[in-house]
Amino acid sequence: MPVIQAENLSKVFHIPQKDPGVAGAVKALFRPRFQPKVAVDDVSFQVAEGEVVGYIGVNGAGKSTTIKMLTGILVPSGGQVRILGRDPHRERVANARDIGVVFGQRTQLWWDLALTESLGMVARIYDVPPTRYRQLLDQFAEILELKDLLHVPIRTMSLGQKMRAELAATLIHEPKIVYLDEPTIGLDLIVKERIREFIQQQNREQGTTVILTTHDLGDIETLCRRVLIIDAGKLIYDGPLSLIKERFGKFREITFDTASPVTTFTLPTGAEVVAAEERKLVLRFDRTRATASQVAASLMNQLEVVDFSLAEPDLANIIKHIYQGALREDGGRRTEDGGRKAEDGRPELQASLGR
Amino acid sequence: MALALGRTVRRYGGMASMAPKFFLAYSIWVWMEWAVQTIALIITSFFWRAVYTDQTVIAGLAQSQTLTYVLLALIFAPFVHSTGMIYNFGYLLKEGQIAVELLRPLDFQAGQYVWRTAELWVGLILQVPLFIVALFLGMQPPLDPRLWAVFLVTAFLGHAVLFCFDWMLGCLAFYVTEIWGLSVARYGFTLFASGLLVPLALMPDWLAGILNVLPFAQALYVPLSFLTGIAPLSDAPRVWLAQLAALAVLLPLSRWVFRVAVRKVTVQGG
Amino acid sequence: MPRYVSLYSLFLRQRLKILMEYRVNFFIGAVSTLIEQTAGLLTVWVVMQRIPLLNGWTYEELLLVYGLLALSKSLTYLFADNLWTVGREYIRTGGFDRFLVRPVDPLFHLLADRFDHQGLGHLIIGGILVSTASARLGITWDLPHLLYLVVAVLSGGLIFIGLNLITCVSAFWIMDSVPVTRVVFDMNEFAKYPLSMYNRGVQFVLTWLVPYGFASFYPANYLLGRDVGVLVWLGPAVAVTLLLIGYRLWLFGLRHYASTGS
Repeated sequence: MPVIQAENLSKVFHIPQKDPGVAGAVKALFRPRFQPKVAVDDVSFQVAEGEVVGYIGVNGAGKSTTIKMLTGILVPSGGQVRILGRDPHRERVANARDIGVVFGQRTQLWWDLALTESLGMVARIYDVPPTRYRQLLDQFAEILELKDLLHVPIRTMSLGQKMRAELAATLIHEPKIVYLDEPTIGLDLIVKERIREFIQQQNREQGTTVILTTHDLGDIETLCRRVLIIDAGKLIYDGPLSLIKERFGKFREITFDTASPVTTFTLPTGAEVVAAEERKLVLRFDRTRATASQVAASLMNQLEVVDFSLAEPDLANIIKHIYQGALREDGGRRTEDGGRKAEDGRPELQASLGR
Repeated sequence: MALALGRTVRRYGGMASMAPKFFLAYSIWVWMEWAVQTIALIITSFFWRAVYTDQTVIAGLAQSQTLTYVLLALIFAPFVHSTGMIYNFGYLLKEGQIAVELLRPLDFQAGQYVWRTAELWVGLILQVPLFIVALFLGMQPPLDPRLWAVFLVTAFLGHAVLFCFDWMLGCLAFYVTEIWGLSVARYGFTLFASGLLVPLALMPDWLAGILNVLPFAQALYVPLSFLTGIAPLSDAPRVWLAQLAALAVLLPLSRWVFRVAVRKVTVQGG
Repeated sequence: MPRYVSLYSLFLRQRLKILMEYRVNFFIGAVSTLIEQTAGLLTVWVVMQRIPLLNGWTYEELLLVYGLLALSKSLTYLFADNLWTVGREYIRTGGFDRFLVRPVDPLFHLLADRFDHQGLGHLIIGGILVSTASARLGITWDLPHLLYLVVAVLSGGLIFIGLNLITCVSAFWIMDSVPVTRVVFDMNEFAKYPLSMYNRGVQFVLTWLVPYGFASFYPANYLLGRDVGVLVWLGPAVAVTLLLIGYRLWLFGLRHYASTGS
């Protein structure tokens, strides 16, 4: 049985509309007008026990609203959620015992307390038996390298130390499912790797199910075999990471080194120039419209090519494309409702993965 | 010289014009302030009526005189509340903003004075509805414009004196981090020491004597005593001279105290 | 229930540990409220130097009223201070979500999260006032009187907490509920003095709408052997009613939060 079931999940917020100025404020007071905003639109998926799922999308795509519905904080406007067979909002307390949540950079630990004391409080809130708590504390201190931090107050910790402490706090009650919202944002590579290892280990040894939202591709590549992509409230991709490359990596790059400076040439069909230097030319082509050999042959006919290389599609670039709407063009399920039909395949979503 | 002065005035003016915008951005807070103060006015008027049920004159003050005094004191309370610096300094320190403030091309203390005075004016304008409420509660303010003029001069001089004093008090924030507690303590003490709750004339002589020397009364009791006939107008020149003398001492002193306190930050790096 | 008691004591112990870490601040925090309260008391003292009776009440009797109110008020500061800032510190920052993913009642968690030492100032001043006033007034603290005092102060405290709970629910709509709470809370100032000093309208409001009268005036009447009828016994009932209303409203606010997330 899947541990997470989301069926036709929707969330509509009613945003109060206010005209500018004092008159607008007064009018809003007596006759409030609301504009519906669909944050999550008919999203369905299931997650099996022990899966690690990456949940990605630009800010405002509906990621955190979905997570809030899965954790029981928000009630869906439509559809339903079952977490371990329960309604997470109705059976909030029972659900809370089985889940762990990291909310971005907000710590759940007490600012002025030493780490052990904070962890001890969390353990008490979740009724972790003292012996089990000791065991876990030792174990976590080891893997997350928290030994020297145990008696340090949270307020004096660096970002990376805080996040490691936060992960320990989130997993101290051995939740069956953890939701991690950007656990590696702003951290250096070594800490990132440590955190990824920890998540992997928990998943492997405890069978913990992990839902991970992130902007960091490294997180996804090391941790997630399956990826969900949400855009404008809609789930536009649900499948293995490897298939994203195959299905959506339709652009490839080919680099030519030429003997003499490049002057003029005609572009092969389906290709465009990415970069042109004196003796170097980088082309990008759509592999549904041209093959590598066609492009190479066409160029070699026109220029004196010394060497050329073909780059594998880079996941980062693909995902950037997805963010820019390429996936929707490619047969992602288009929106049906009238309200947002005006959006063409290239909306204003220019947010980069770097965020 | 004149040009430089003009520029300075504009700069400080820019700061001053920010104050009302800042205030009005939070209109629900304005309503709260009105409600809370209306409550205080009502309680005060009932209390003092009860005090005068069996007496017509206490310590030389008639019922209407005292009632007018205490209600006016609540309305003109911004004169004593607008100078507290403890919270302000503490906030600037905590956010590390103090360095930025000190680097601005204007004198920090003068800038703060302009800001506080602008806040005071906004505060006074916002008290207008309460003035009307107080009229219904039995306040009988005088109509003689000379009294009001003397009141205003005395109040603003007293306000400047209190500002310098509070400037030194605010420097405590450089040494103690519990700024909220300190400002509450200052607030509580000011309520009584400024004559906001009871006119100094009703207090035992020894107490009134002490409070008269402290600067809190200068910004409220002393000006109000002209307005309510507790002190004669002929006292005004003497009072003003004393206030100016206090300013002449407190202004340089406050700047010196601040410099010493700031050194603590610059030495320890905040 | 035992679980909540032990959890609360854990939270309290940890909070005290933090407060003790900042001993100077702790002291200033507690003393500052003392000073603030003293301003009001000095007013009464000054006035009573000049007149023998205020509305038929002696100086000591007035202090008793004042002290009872301070004791009741201290309870809301000590144990329910977070009701003031739930909007500002938890809902606006998103910290409230944390309560909702933990296996405890969110209201309990909110209250347990902060024990405010500034209430100690009120507690101390209330204790001093009630004990000295009652000694001078010759109130004997036999068991019934003592029991009455404890119940009265508890009810008074719960009335404060109930009213703060009712007003804090507005935070689920307007983010920062402090302005709303402040206005209702400030009406407790009426109850620093005998309610008989006010006109009927004010008396009605302070008895039935914002019933701070049960935190000071009515119990003082009982302790002084004055007669105001059944009202001296109504404190607990009023407190429970307010808490029930507050809790219902709180749940309503939570439901709103669950559908809007803000």
